[in-house]
Amino acid sequence: MEKNKASQDSIKILNRRSFIITTIGLILSLIVSIRLFSLQILNFNFYQKKSVENKVAVKATAPLRGDIFDNEKNLVAANASLYEFVIYKNLNKNYMDEVSKLNKLIKLDLKISNISEKLKSFNAYTPFILSRANWQQIVEFEKNKFLFTSVKIIESKKRYYPHKNLSQIIGYMGKSSDDKHLYPKGVFHLEKTYDELLQGRPGKILNEVNSRGKVIREISIEEPIKGNSLELTINLKLQNYAQSVLPLSNKGSIVVLNRFDGSILSMNSNPTFDAQVFEDRDNDTINSLLNDPEKPLFNRAFTGFYPPGSVFKPIPALLGLKKNMINEKTEVFCSGSTSLADRNYYCWKKGGHGIVNLKKAIKESCDCYFYELAKKINIDDLSDLATNLGLNSTYNIGLSNAQKGLIPNKKWKKSNLEQGWYQGETLITSIGQGYNLTSPLQLASMYSALLNGGKFPSPKLIKNEPSKYLGEELNPNDQKAILNALKAAVQEPLGTAYKLNLDNPNFVKIGGKTGTSQVVRIKEEDREDDLYKTKEIEDRFKDHSVFVGYAPIDDPKYIASVIIENGGSGSAVAAPIAHKVLNFAYQENV
Amino acid sequence: MFKDFKSLLNINWIYFFILLIIFWVGEINLYSAAGGNLEPWAINQMKRFIIFLPIVFFILLLQPKFIFNITELILIAVMLGLLITLFFGYTGMGAKRWIRVGGFNLQVSEFAKISLVIFMAKYFHKLNAQKTIGLIRSIIPLLISIALFLLVAVQPDLGTALIILILGLVAIFYAGIKLIYPILSLLLIALASPFLWTLLKPYQQNRVMIFLNPDLDPLGKGYHIIQSKIAIGSGGLNGNGFLEGSQSSLDFLPEKETDFVFAIFSEQFGFTGSLILISIFLIFFLIPIFKTFKLTQVFNKIILFVLSFKIFFEFLINVSMTIGLLPVVGVALPFMSYGGSSLLSNMIICALLMNLMSVEEKKRMFS
Repeated sequence: MEKNKASQDSIKILNRRSFIITTIGLILSLIVSIRLFSLQILNFNFYQKKSVENKVAVKATAPLRGDIFDNEKNLVAANASLYEFVIYKNLNKNYMDEVSKLNKLIKLDLKISNISEKLKSFNAYTPFILSRANWQQIVEFEKNKFLFTSVKIIESKKRYYPHKNLSQIIGYMGKSSDDKHLYPKGVFHLEKTYDELLQGRPGKILNEVNSRGKVIREISIEEPIKGNSLELTINLKLQNYAQSVLPLSNKGSIVVLNRFDGSILSMNSNPTFDAQVFEDRDNDTINSLLNDPEKPLFNRAFTGFYPPGSVFKPIPALLGLKKNMINEKTEVFCSGSTSLADRNYYCWKKGGHGIVNLKKAIKESCDCYFYELAKKINIDDLSDLATNLGLNSTYNIGLSNAQKGLIPNKKWKKSNLEQGWYQGETLITSIGQGYNLTSPLQLASMYSALLNGGKFPSPKLIKNEPSKYLGEELNPNDQKAILNALKAAVQEPLGTAYKLNLDNPNFVKIGGKTGTSQVVRIKEEDREDDLYKTKEIEDRFKDHSVFVGYAPIDDPKYIASVIIENGGSGSAVAAPIAHKVLNFAYQENV
Repeated sequence: MFKDFKSLLNINWIYFFILLIIFWVGEINLYSAAGGNLEPWAINQMKRFIIFLPIVFFILLLQPKFIFNITELILIAVMLGLLITLFFGYTGMGAKRWIRVGGFNLQVSEFAKISLVIFMAKYFHKLNAQKTIGLIRSIIPLLISIALFLLVAVQPDLGTALIILILGLVAIFYAGIKLIYPILSLLLIALASPFLWTLLKPYQQNRVMIFLNPDLDPLGKGYHIIQSKIAIGSGGLNGNGFLEGSQSSLDFLPEKETDFVFAIFSEQFGFTGSLILISIFLIFFLIPIFKTFKLTQVFNKIILFVLSFKIFFEFLINVSMTIGLLPVVGVALPFMSYGGSSLLSNMIICALLMNLMSVEEKKRMFS
């Protein structure tokens, strides 16, 4: 009985303990349930997002880049097919063997260790690009195709530039520096400026992938949208013609402008380059282009800045007329030189021009007339007027490396040279030498301003871009006086460019101004030296030959601005080239 | 040795049906783990279940008295099995855990749990005259628990070993050891844990750190837990639906058919499904527990209580692993994880429980 009692007590203990353990078990299940509540209800959004991130892979597909046309709808930049050797890791375990085999067979010059390193962490189901494939390589590969299971050839797109002469305007494409861009983007000139417009919208393929990145199914496809096309103001025929008349022996450039709307009809620079080499990754050629001392990538029409020489003279003349310092009848005696503050300033014509009025001063390009005028001119007024008439301004026409050039004033000299202004410098400035720096495009714009009566359309390269007007109204009589003189410079005997009419009497009649831009300042004693006059000065010290002209003379539409570096005098070299180009533009009615 | 065949009709049918439900849920889960395929897991698990059924019937028919008599034999057999495993075991996943028996890879440690509990049940049954159990009387069960713990721990299989040790301790506690000892030992462990931490090798400490923050090693050891939590969390309230679990079908979830079956279940059936599953296991746990209150024989009580607790406890441990409450220690989800030894041992346990729940107790049952 005792024992039985003890046994019953012991049973009670067991039942009590059972209660404790069961309670602990219930508490544990409660903890588990709370944890599940936290994961599945409270943090559901977080984990659902994670789950989607796990299984959905977004693949971007490159859009076709927009085409570029000239002003007559000729294709000047397009898309072309491109073939590439790629490798799929999932198709062969020993994929690196195949890479080595391919490298040996096709002689691709691959960096095997480099590729091996990159491939290690590369998705097995995504093609890894080994190299571009040209036709011979494709043929060689196809012959030996049975040797490969993981190497394939895929087609993609590259940029195609059919006309080399537009490279200086269109620019080229390059690798994008940020990782977000999966495909090349424009890195130079119009390709760069209008990249956003041209690039189009990439397509998106949403794939469901498993943990190894294998595509299980397509969730959705968003087709890529081709980029917008671009129509240029450039006329392909004129562009090619102008390039052909630029002398190969000298660096130089030509810009042709439509003065009515500012359209740049052609813009050439010599030497030039072929943008296609950048697309074809022709590294040797690219390196030689980048290191060429002749700077073939440099667009001299837009970024080449030179002293304008005598083509600048209409500006001081207009200022003199405007400020009543001179009128059309004012006469100056040119003896070949004049002096100011004990310094002599020489006319280019050693014996002098004799009695000179405004028309003669421009027509025969008399320096003395402008020296005398410049003695009364405030340099700040001259600089302001030049700026209003298209010089000293930055033109954002879509090309890279836009610059302002320079027409000096007092403030500029103070802050850059920390010196006050001397009136003698105004004399030099007014004949287009000294600190003046202008680009061929700026000079063309300046003549557009003269022809348009002061307000002129800003130059542009994109056809449907509305014309923006710059400048300030000129007094019509002043304008007429200047244009008369510019006409006389070509059409009347003794005009600096009169020879053009004699050489090509059938060409369109033009007006214009010659200029000779000094490369080295000629010292007084050199002037006396016979050596200067002979043609034997070293080429790189020869003057730049400048001409700005317009045609047809009665109702001008075309303006041509030409510079031939180290070409000598403007009348001899630049003027005939401008005449040819203006004639071509006129005859072809571009 | 055997009961009357008719006694089979007296089993607790509710318990039996719940067992079938749990197994069936496990089958559906394995089917979905294979992406809606019976191959390779669901069909194999079903075959095993059918092959093991005769063993269940055999155990159901055994007289409790017979089991009572052979407890020591079973314990010795299991210990021998563990030793054989250690010396001649089949190595897999860096551990010697299995021996080959008639075409099966048998994980003896699973059966060590049963043998330990049965042995303890008999041991404490014999002490049943004692009102309370002191430290001295607990020493033998404690030593045997520790021996089994060590034999399994050196395989190495720390998870199973810890379960064995815990079952041993639960049995001793349930049998009525004076409360002062468990309380003292808990205090001791709490005080010694900083010291124990320094005893751990750096890689072991590292594992614990990664468990506490899986993001320390998202592609390595933390990967399992992270992916499992994503699967469960993305299940939401009602789940993604049957066969719609992307974490599972796209192979983001590793070891989905064994340790992480719960994640697959929960991804498909959500919080609601998980709560229902927990409830089913809870009822399954409580049915034998309620029965113990009506029983007077210590042998029956301990077996019913501790083995029923074992199934529920393993369920909780496994789920806690998949939801990041416990480190991944390799404890299977009863009846749902793919694997023969776990299934067989749990079927044997359920057979034992059903057997004991159906006996009419007599006073001198085991004397």
